[in-house]
Amino acid sequence: MSQFLDRLTFFRKNVETFSDGHGVVTREDRSWEDGYRKRWQHDKIVRSTHGVNCTGSCSWKIYVKGGIVTWETQQTDYPRTRPDLPNHEPRGCSRGASYSWYLYSGARVKYPMVRGRLLKLWRAARKTLSPVAAWASIVEDEASRKSYTSIRGHGGFVRVTWDEVTELIAAANAYTIRRHGPDRVIGFSPIPAMSMVSYAAGSRYLSLIGGVCMSFYDWYCDLPPASPQTWGEQTDVPESADWYNAGFIIVWGSNVPQTRTPDAHFYTEVRYKGTKSAVVSPDYAEATKFADIWLNPKQGTDAALALAMGHVILKEYYLQRTVPYFADYARRYTDMPFLVRLTARDGRYVPERLLRASELPGALGETNNPEWKTVAIDEISGELVAPLGSVGYRWGESAHWNLEEKDGRGRDIRLKLTLAGDGAEIAPVDFPYFGGRASEHFVATEHGEILGRNVPVRTIAVADGTAIKVATVHDLMMASYGIDRGFGGGNVAASYDDDVPFTPAWAERITGVKREAIITVAREFATNAEKTNGRSMIIIGAGMNHWYHMDMGYRGVINLLVFCGAVGQSGGGWSHYVGQEKLRPQTGWTPLAFALDWARPPRHQNSTSFFYAHTDQWRYETLTANEVLSPTAPEGDWQASFIDYNVRAERMGWLPSAPQMKQNSLDLAARASAAGMEAKDYVARGLKSGELELSCHDPDDPANWPRNMFVWRSNLLGSSGKGHEYFLKHLLGTKHGVMGKDLGAEGRVRNREVAWHDEAPEGKLDLLVTLDFRMSTTCVYSDVVLPTATWYEKNDLNTSDMHPFIHPLSAAVDPVWEARSDWEIYKGIAKAFSAVAPEVLGVEKDVVLTPIQHDTPGEMAQTFDVADWKRGEVEPIPGRTMPAVSVVTRDYPNTYARFTALGPLMSEIGNGGKGIAWKTQREVEALGALNGVHHDGAAKGLPKIDTDIDATEVILMLAPETNGEVAVRAWEALSKATGRHHAHLAIPKEDEKIRFRDIQAQPRKIISSPTWSGIESEKVCYNAGYTNVHELIPWRTLTGRQQLYQDHLWMRAFGEGFVTWKPPVDLKTIAAVKDKKPNGNREIVLNFITPHQKWGIHSTYTDNLLMLTLNRGGPVVWISETDAKAAGIVDNDWVEVFNSNGALTARAVVSQRVKPGMMLMYHAQEKIVNTPGSEMTGNRGGIHNSVTRTVLKPTHMIGGYAQQSYGFNYYGTVGSNRDEFIVVRKMANVDWLEAPLAAAE
Amino acid sequence: MTVTFKALSALLSYPGAELQGAVGEILDAIRAENLVAAESRAALERFAREIEAADLYDLQERYVDLFDKTRRLSLHLFEHVHGESRDRGQAMVDLARLYEAGGLELDASELPDYLPLFLEYLSTRPLAEARGVLADALHIVTALEERLAARGSSYAAVFAAIRSAAGGRAAVPVPEGSTEPAENDLAALDAAWEETAVTFGPGDSFDGCSVDRLKIRMRAGRRDVRRAEA
Repeated sequence: MSQFLDRLTFFRKNVETFSDGHGVVTREDRSWEDGYRKRWQHDKIVRSTHGVNCTGSCSWKIYVKGGIVTWETQQTDYPRTRPDLPNHEPRGCSRGASYSWYLYSGARVKYPMVRGRLLKLWRAARKTLSPVAAWASIVEDEASRKSYTSIRGHGGFVRVTWDEVTELIAAANAYTIRRHGPDRVIGFSPIPAMSMVSYAAGSRYLSLIGGVCMSFYDWYCDLPPASPQTWGEQTDVPESADWYNAGFIIVWGSNVPQTRTPDAHFYTEVRYKGTKSAVVSPDYAEATKFADIWLNPKQGTDAALALAMGHVILKEYYLQRTVPYFADYARRYTDMPFLVRLTARDGRYVPERLLRASELPGALGETNNPEWKTVAIDEISGELVAPLGSVGYRWGESAHWNLEEKDGRGRDIRLKLTLAGDGAEIAPVDFPYFGGRASEHFVATEHGEILGRNVPVRTIAVADGTAIKVATVHDLMMASYGIDRGFGGGNVAASYDDDVPFTPAWAERITGVKREAIITVAREFATNAEKTNGRSMIIIGAGMNHWYHMDMGYRGVINLLVFCGAVGQSGGGWSHYVGQEKLRPQTGWTPLAFALDWARPPRHQNSTSFFYAHTDQWRYETLTANEVLSPTAPEGDWQASFIDYNVRAERMGWLPSAPQMKQNSLDLAARASAAGMEAKDYVARGLKSGELELSCHDPDDPANWPRNMFVWRSNLLGSSGKGHEYFLKHLLGTKHGVMGKDLGAEGRVRNREVAWHDEAPEGKLDLLVTLDFRMSTTCVYSDVVLPTATWYEKNDLNTSDMHPFIHPLSAAVDPVWEARSDWEIYKGIAKAFSAVAPEVLGVEKDVVLTPIQHDTPGEMAQTFDVADWKRGEVEPIPGRTMPAVSVVTRDYPNTYARFTALGPLMSEIGNGGKGIAWKTQREVEALGALNGVHHDGAAKGLPKIDTDIDATEVILMLAPETNGEVAVRAWEALSKATGRHHAHLAIPKEDEKIRFRDIQAQPRKIISSPTWSGIESEKVCYNAGYTNVHELIPWRTLTGRQQLYQDHLWMRAFGEGFVTWKPPVDLKTIAAVKDKKPNGNREIVLNFITPHQKWGIHSTYTDNLLMLTLNRGGPVVWISETDAKAAGIVDNDWVEVFNSNGALTARAVVSQRVKPGMMLMYHAQEKIVNTPGSEMTGNRGGIHNSVTRTVLKPTHMIGGYAQQSYGFNYYGTVGSNRDEFIVVRKMANVDWLEAPLAAAE
Repeated sequence: MTVTFKALSALLSYPGAELQGAVGEILDAIRAENLVAAESRAALERFAREIEAADLYDLQERYVDLFDKTRRLSLHLFEHVHGESRDRGQAMVDLARLYEAGGLELDASELPDYLPLFLEYLSTRPLAEARGVLADALHIVTALEERLAARGSSYAAVFAAIRSAAGGRAAVPVPEGSTEPAENDLAALDAAWEETAVTFGPGDSFDGCSVDRLKIRMRAGRRDVRRAEA
């Protein structure tokens, strides 16, 4: 009935009332309410989250109606926090809120797809040939191989069935394994914490077939190598709730409200509590609005700022007066009391390595690992002692690896911080200074290359009867910071106004920040820590970490925290939140992910070194070792190129290699037994004689190319691939925008370890397979694209470092179109592989090389000097002077059976992590009961891992964080090493076992575990280093303390023994292109900065129209008004940004926010949306990484040396990119390149 | 049963060998039913013969490039109506209910708004009803036809044929002339993306002239009347 006619004009209705006249019954039409009803009607709500590379781990309600996801809203049922602490919710942001769109988007990958030309070849070959033979016929014919590899990125996909595509992939893998070796099958997937089972699906398959899992944290340059250097820990940080406990917060190069949106409320709330905050950011970023004081240093000069603050703190809180809390903390928890040997050089001294017990008469009574026990002076007895807790106490003995104030003989000790006073000897010690090496874009200062400073020392007799001079780290540190302690000599400052490194006045010149501001922030930071026992916190981010010399910035900041006793204290410490995404149930996950239940060790590779070699970025290296070498470097052969350094690191067992050897690893075991030798001896002998070769010596030899590559949960080519254009040119062999010439063409070939080919390979990969739910840039360049389930279509686990809860991803609906979950996809590939493999593969013995691992006794492999077997300086001994060699049995035809069962090694060997091992037989039995067991086949009697939920249960059951019984067992295992009782941290939760359905009901807080250095408690928030300070568990470093002095030979050679100031490096990418191809518009040079954005999480969401609409609808770069004016650019102009690495196109955002001299391009705006062609290259404008190239740093390659030993995603080279400069100019002609690819191609 | 809609559905589906083999049958059926006007039919026949003769891989590559990878040419109707708004979910639910009411259950892993699927549904309905339902979507068909024609794609013929078979005017009027800026016309693109001023108030579904919005306003008006009465 029409509502107009429904209304009475001439009558009043009979009025009925209810509730004692409080309510009135009406009879009007209520159909309008349907609008609301329909709006909120749904069939079910499912809990899930967004497994994007984000630390959010936010709980969302997914609404489903008629089998279709209709919308999502934020969940608000996180477990409550304790009184006086704000709750976590609501968590979420605009990006997650727009996610349901992705499910049904036009950009979704809907069907398995293969490059048409490849499929045509495949089907033709399969008509007559078996699968592996068919694949061989395609890739062994150069013309047919090139017919599809050379058009990567140019469309040409056709749909294909799952059965057909998995057979093709399996055949390629089997062929590659047989022909070249299993280590030519490579897989890249990042940040497992965001969807652990999806990650594990691919890595489990790869590990079972002997393929290589690539690292990501270091490649993304999110790994701060300063963390493993200082703490022996990859990264461990306070949860965001702990910000609320801080008394003073510095936010440094991090943009909390923009990139940690769901956590930012804690930062807001703590300011209401009265906490003061300083923000360090060169541009007026969103976080600066939270600041009580904003410091805006020139980009890339953060280390100088940190050093100046350290100068103030050391002077006022260590020298002018002693703060008891700080001094006690420095004595007990840092290496500051430890003794450093000084080497005489031209009548002066240079700090050498830390003194060891083995060097002293009688080795201080130490018989177990005395060369790994560091030495200090005991204030009580006045004697030299080897305090408990150093790495020598960790291995080969028990109960002595702790931070009690005792020495190896059980005596109570109190370590001396300084040798000053009582007529101490004073000696001149040289420190390197790099501040004069700054390029034209930064301030170079004239202080000389070597700064001599007077330091109190002691002369001691060592075991060989000679006398040497030693000094404490503390005294050397005071000298290094240029503090005048009255010992005379130069290069020290009595006043903050002296222009001496590292005073506030000196820093003002370099950073542009007023000295008064530096002094104020340093004082307030330290005074707060003094009053609160360390509740001073530094939140730190990519703005600092993405520079070539990130270690200097980070160590400068870490020193501030350590000087103030803030690490390991509630409300204090180092809060590095960059790509961290902590995988909380880590030790439950590693067996599943790396198939440790079937075979150990897995093959892991550090991606930065891999891509540097295999995308041939090394062939274009512009930086030389000389430019970063220390003027105080010890004698040695340092004039090598960075790839040479990397090769040395690989062959000495420091860094991993992939592919490993030129010879197929499946053939080596047989050859060894034919020679009557063990594989490890055979490999050592063969490498020495030259009969066997490591692949790293010749990455361009086709025998050493990676051949098959899987990319999943990643947009490697559209987001994280530094040197994007080099990927296109050399790894993929397609159109590219590289404009620079390689070293051969320029006559500058310098490398000595690596073979040079005049003709560089183009197109190393035979097959690139990408799994994604959207047509990303990586998909566009792939040969095979597989449609994967979205985060509302699969079951998985998700954790974060930002909060202590474990959270599910849940299948709200079945995957649409032909999509499948990652677990099902890899399971399918494993099944196809098992069917195809017998053509060429059976049960095989695979010889696996692994670098010397951190947290194993191997970390004591290379004691004093660096010795290279290749140069005959030492014998090649596997696991000591070269990579360890193991033989792993692979049952290729049973890959599927193994994939879907929990293998026998969990019962036979057990589980563990970070140097702690425990038995886990009970959990294996429980999993058998929970998931069921296989009744026949190769996995008979073993627990099933059939579905993604089965896989989650494996993780949850095995991990101490989610199984209280395992937690207690793990703490007890640690107690054996420390001799202290720790199980009290988990005993209250011993009976707690978290299962998948539990977390679907509500996110669950995890259980304290020795895998991590903080605890989950009702009394304190999670804070890193907490158990080191409060449970006296040593840090996993050489001294067992926070290691502020880095004494490895290579650290000293590159001048990083102590933190110092190193200006950004000059990558020399401008001269070759600037004004070389003019378009009539003015070209200017700017520093290229790539922070994280607001409208996407990396590249995800950047093709989402909602997010595009909130920004400018396509790629943009931000420049200052000053620079824009100089270049004649106005807001929204199309500009081109280029250097010798390549070119990108974007619109300009002209803003006062940006500091002149720099350009901001938000990280990972894809070139698939609204990107015109480049006038420089003639190709479509690139991504932000089109103008970058990765550069290795030798200090990141160190291995076999306590905390500087390799661990996957723990240590290794990192892909820095912020030292890059670019040319920018307004575009004259915007060409959308809509014409089809020339038919001839 | 209107076989023309089924035939057009087949021509718009991912091309396979089966489709290539069925071109003759398809054209015969369309001719026999005579719902497509002669001038549209000529272009359609050329297109169909092209499908019949071309290399299947080329056809499939073209289809993926056009329809799987280009949002502007998406064959999912609501991509063009609701985009990524929340209304899209409800719209799909409603459409699925329409199919259910017609006694059909979705059997393919496709969304309800996939145009070939929608056409197949229409083929099972009486012509008059089918044309009535199709009228609601005709403006999208027209837009897709224009976009394909602008690209010089022969697929435009299928859309012209659909329009012809619909035999009536679009329920949502197709604006005069092309409102879409050419892709190289930057000024026009900027104008098209010009943001509307922000107004604060209830969300999408209550904005503009939606039915919900009108109901709310009528109710508000009635409230005023009551207040006046009091």
